Amino acid sequence: MKSNKMMPYVCPSCRTGLKVVRLTCSACGTAVEGGFDLPVLARLDAEDQSFLLSFLKSSGSLKELARQHGVSYPTVRNRLDALIGKVAALETGTVHERREL
Amino acid sequence: MTSMVTSAPESGSQRRRARTWLFNPFHYLAGVRALALGVVCILTTGLVGAWGRSHFDGVLDFHVGASAPVWIFLAEGIIAWLTLSVLLAATGKLVSRTHVRSVDVFGTQALARAPMLLTAIAALLPGYGRFASALMLMQAKLTSWGIPKPHFDVADAAAFGIVILVTLTMLVWMVALMYRAYAVSCNVKGGRAVISFIVALVLAEAASKTTLYVIFRAFVPTA
Repeated sequence: MKSNKMMPYVCPSCRTGLKVVRLTCSACGTAVEGGFDLPVLARLDAEDQSFLLSFLKSSGSLKELARQHGVSYPTVRNRLDALIGKVAALETGTVHERREL
Repeated sequence: MTSMVTSAPESGSQRRRARTWLFNPFHYLAGVRALALGVVCILTTGLVGAWGRSHFDGVLDFHVGASAPVWIFLAEGIIAWLTLSVLLAATGKLVSRTHVRSVDVFGTQALARAPMLLTAIAALLPGYGRFASALMLMQAKLTSWGIPKPHFDVADAAAFGIVILVTLTMLVWMVALMYRAYAVSCNVKGGRAVISFIVALVLAEAASKTTLYVIFRAFVPTA
């Protein structure tokens, strides 16, 4: 059964991006410890990730995505532009990671 | 289902959705569909205007004036829409960092003129025309002789007041829609969007008046 728990990616106290410290093999129990950065896409909030998945499933067609969600083409394109900006900022580390409420 | 696209309809409430339809219909509607609907609104406004002698002779203009051939009323709306759309499309391509589709700019700007249809319908109130004519006669009397004193009726004055109120409301609504149309279709925000929109609007107002003047001088002998 799929868990509904969301992986936190920012510190609830100071809003700094979290790192992965421990990974465990679910089959044999082997654990690896270290300081691993989360991939950029994993650092996006749930809404952004959901949008990206929809974009992927519609073969990257903004028109199809707009049709599916009942919104206009420029609305979807502007949403994608904002996401591109967010990803670029995450890659260059120029944005303080935080979930938009 | 619109939850993941923008924050506007996220609450899912009908009220918020209705507000978005009123003040930012371009969230849902743009491109060819907005263009078709907008052009129908502009042409209908022209036809209703021809019936009530309401001239929309400029991007932000509305006057009750002389009777004229129907094509003039239609041309006024089309020219007002085209001049602003051309300038906003050019401005958007200059200031926006994203790809701007001309069909979105022209379509959303056409739809943004829809409130003028309500103005044209309101101006059909019979008392409004009579009161406006009486006012024009009174103004003419100040500069010329031999014109009989115009008659002012209270009911006509009330109709005039209602139409002026509707006109002002529709004008504010139309400008708000024009700005939202520009912001959505060109993906511009903040001070850059406001300033570029105002500049384009002022230039478009001047350009539309000049274009209409040139056309009427060429095709209407008495203009």
